[in-house]
Amino acid sequence: MDTTKTIITMSSITYAMKAKDYLNGLGYWCEVERTRKNIGSGCGYSIIIKDDPDLIAPLLERRHIPYKGIYRL
Amino acid sequence: MNGRNVINFDNSAGTYPKPAAVRQAVAGALQKVGGNPGRGGHALSMKAAQQIYEVRRRAAQFFGAEIENTAFAPNCTYALNMVIKGLMQYGGHIIISCYEHNSVSRPVYALTKNSGVKCSIAKIYDDTGQTIAEMEKLIRRDTLCICCTAASNVTGRILPYREIGELARRHGIAFVCDCAQAAGVIPVSIDDGISFICTSGQKGLYGPSGTGLLISSGEFALSTIIEGGTGATSGELVQTPYMPEKLESGTLNTAGLIGLGAGLDFIKSKGIENIRSHEAALCGYFQRELQKLDVHIYDADKERVPIVAFNINGMTSEETAAKLSEGGFALRGGMHCAALAHEALGTSGSGAVRFSPSVFSTRQQVSALIAYIRTIM
Repeated sequence: MDTTKTIITMSSITYAMKAKDYLNGLGYWCEVERTRKNIGSGCGYSIIIKDDPDLIAPLLERRHIPYKGIYRL
Repeated sequence: MNGRNVINFDNSAGTYPKPAAVRQAVAGALQKVGGNPGRGGHALSMKAAQQIYEVRRRAAQFFGAEIENTAFAPNCTYALNMVIKGLMQYGGHIIISCYEHNSVSRPVYALTKNSGVKCSIAKIYDDTGQTIAEMEKLIRRDTLCICCTAASNVTGRILPYREIGELARRHGIAFVCDCAQAAGVIPVSIDDGISFICTSGQKGLYGPSGTGLLISSGEFALSTIIEGGTGATSGELVQTPYMPEKLESGTLNTAGLIGLGAGLDFIKSKGIENIRSHEAALCGYFQRELQKLDVHIYDADKERVPIVAFNINGMTSEETAAKLSEGGFALRGGMHCAALAHEALGTSGSGAVRFSPSVFSTRQQVSALIAYIRTIM
């Protein structure tokens, strides 16, 4: 089983929560966390996903949920 | 009176009593939700953020909006100021109605004095077609928005807000709707052609005081009038551009907003139509009984949210309200922070007495009020 996780940095905590809400509703695992220091500067929030980001990112775009960057752990 | 036995018929100023679920939600939040939402990654902050998000989601759903376009404000006045000044701070022309609360007319007046904004005041006619036609004549090349109440806070008169929304949409201008008296008794929605819904949380939504909503359709960008900490892009001096945090500088009223969420759930469980029909029945009863007395009722023949504005002939509104207070009834006399509306009604000098029940008011309480009014005349 591939346990690789991906961090997607978000524009705001509201968008992070909305993304989690949306992805969980579609059956994808997703959690919100504070953006890690080695990734972002200043305050910010990210979502962590287990599924392929090439699958998840278009879903977010389709729902008009902006994100900043994608980082594989 | 010590307030313990007072019957509240001033629910337009703030519903009281609050539903048990709202009281419990606030108490529970104060006890268990201690973090500052959006201000950290620790468990307390994240728990608070999740709770706030849940309230935001329910509020967005209630008004047919997107979650990110649903911002919290301390009250309706703040929300209206943020929208009006956010749209008009660089000048332009605004149309407001003759029924506006001071939360609209005062910021607009200040803009006309300080920022070169021009304002036209639209009359509201009995005929909706005439109201819209006359309002359309006021639209100019530099008109940026129409701002009006969905329902008057003085008489309860419902303005043709859907038609005004359609008019604004046809002309590509924003429609700002003050829903302080309408939310919770009329199913107002962003889908009604409204660009910005501003409302109080503590009136028909049964939330605590210190809560309000600023809901956007997302079509018009607002400049900010308050900047500060938002928990997002904190390393930059420029205000975060992302809604809703862009409009929510400073710590949110977490416990109050969780209470507001419980208020929204309460309304949903009761049903807006059921709430309105209960309160309208009480207003109808009260009005019919008043009409048997030497009393003048304002906008008596108009479609209204559950409010009855009246004056006892020979008494000022403040005298009447004071006497009713002595009898244990809370009704508001005076100008109701609505100079324009009273001018339109011809009551600028005297004001009026406002009766506004809530879902908890009973026919027996109204009967007691009517009996007491008979004794003071």
